[in-house]
Amino acid sequence: MVKKRINICISLFILLAVTIIAIFPFYMMLIMSTYKTSELSKAISMLPGNYFFENLRRIISGGFLNYYGNSVYISVVTTVLCVFMSALTGYGFAKFKFRLNKPLMMVIVGCMMIPMQLGLVGYVIEMRAFHLVNTREAVMVMSVANCFGVFWMTQFIRSTVPDSVIESARLDGCSELGIFFKIILAYIRPGIATLVILQFMWNWNSYLLPLVILNDASLYPITLGIATLGNRYSADYAAQICALALGTMPIIVVFIAGSKYFIQGLTAGDVKG
Amino acid sequence: MKNALKAPRRTMEKKLSLAGLLFVIPFFIWYGVFQLFPILYSFYLSFFQWDGIGVKEYIGIQNYIKLFTKDPYFFKSIGNTVLIMVGYLPITLILGLLLAILLFEPRIRGKRFFQTTQFLPYIVAPVACGLLFMLLFDWGTGTINQILIALGLIEEGINWLGNPTMARIVLVIMQCWRQLGYVVTIYLAGLTGISPELLEAAEIDGAGKFQKIRYIIVPLLKNTTLFLTVTGIIDGFQMFDAPKMLFTTGQVGAHAGGPQRSCLTPVWYLYDTAFGGNSASNMGYASVIAYGLFLFILIVSIINYKISARKGED
Repeated sequence: MVKKRINICISLFILLAVTIIAIFPFYMMLIMSTYKTSELSKAISMLPGNYFFENLRRIISGGFLNYYGNSVYISVVTTVLCVFMSALTGYGFAKFKFRLNKPLMMVIVGCMMIPMQLGLVGYVIEMRAFHLVNTREAVMVMSVANCFGVFWMTQFIRSTVPDSVIESARLDGCSELGIFFKIILAYIRPGIATLVILQFMWNWNSYLLPLVILNDASLYPITLGIATLGNRYSADYAAQICALALGTMPIIVVFIAGSKYFIQGLTAGDVKG
Repeated sequence: MKNALKAPRRTMEKKLSLAGLLFVIPFFIWYGVFQLFPILYSFYLSFFQWDGIGVKEYIGIQNYIKLFTKDPYFFKSIGNTVLIMVGYLPITLILGLLLAILLFEPRIRGKRFFQTTQFLPYIVAPVACGLLFMLLFDWGTGTINQILIALGLIEEGINWLGNPTMARIVLVIMQCWRQLGYVVTIYLAGLTGISPELLEAAEIDGAGKFQKIRYIIVPLLKNTTLFLTVTGIIDGFQMFDAPKMLFTTGQVGAHAGGPQRSCLTPVWYLYDTAFGGNSASNMGYASVIAYGLFLFILIVSIINYKISARKGED
């Protein structure tokens, strides 16, 4: 009995150590954002300084809030469109019999393996032809049709929506689109929540696509803002760290608020393997 | 009478199958225009020499020949990625499994807290992680050097990001830090799928902790391990954001890939060839790099498929 208790204590100690390692860099980030650059190179301190608002002021006057606006615009619109299209397509696959159902589903599963970088060059040239280079919309449209989203929604609708509900709605004279909007969407809310969080994270963190599409700094999302900090505040480490802290905090808050759905979605990725 | 009943049912079925098709068609149109077409267009471009502005010059399979026989950087970038993956994949898988087993113990409290905090590095943008690690591992002002000096482990700061071996080690450390929480979570999900009776039975038979792990948990979680390995390798081949952040900020005109290109990844090489601006951009050759990279990912996927299929037969 005593031995078991000691074992639990050791386990807790190890888990705590890993947790500390996991959050230590973020902690240092927050601490360092409260110091002057000249103080940063002297000695480490584990306690916050009093220079945070001065750093914040420089960051905001550098146009950092603009990056926020762009990131929110790109991530929200892309996520909404992508999740809506995934649900629509997933419903078609899960609840309708048509000749191409199985082959098209196989196409979806196959395409999940294709890395986004494969068509990157072609995409940029295509956007040039559409005169969409250097627009936020060009960053958005590529991610709307997402094979994982469709796969996830198909699985979710198949396992949660009973056929009888759809059939009785049909007998009541409800149109097919009406059934989708009024009944299906209500049934699959947890699945939607999971996909929204995953998509939001992917879009918010996306870097390569905006990097090759956008030239104009006023259109940059936060990832590009962070990436160009070194050019703008080259000697000003404190400002860089402060901006980094501002840029990463939103996603951390979103994650902590929705961690249940988030973990559910990621572990569901296991199914596809 | 019979026919009269059948006919409306058949039209109903037809109507429904059309409705189903209409539900899925928009996706495929969108996918075709914004993803499939670019992929095919890249393939077309791979047969040309083109700087993206001037005239396209058809050169047949010259780009492919160059990639596989003459290009020193492509295989170097693949090799770098493999080296870095060999560094972090086994560590994260083993540590991740052990931590998941610790968390699985019913008497451990605060599971949610541990899982959430350990997961944090995974959800933060790789770009941000790159910058964070660049600052932490900075030669002069970095916290890591300051801590090591304060502890008396080293006398002078280590130039982590300036030396090829150290640079790769920093990437390995960063990847371990980023992936561990994710691996723990996936393993934990796998562990909940193991029937508790099996573990109890083993305990009654006198199996110790390590025997239980060795003979029950590891074999039963084989599929999870396979999944994590395969997706880990595929993700690893696509590394770009973090290495680029670690080694290019503030260094105007520096070549891609960090010290002696020791951290050049295939995607970074692709980016640099098409959009990097250090030399004349070459859209055709960048497309070939993309297809070369895809070939490696495809091989990994096929091996995965073969292993899974063989398991299904057993």
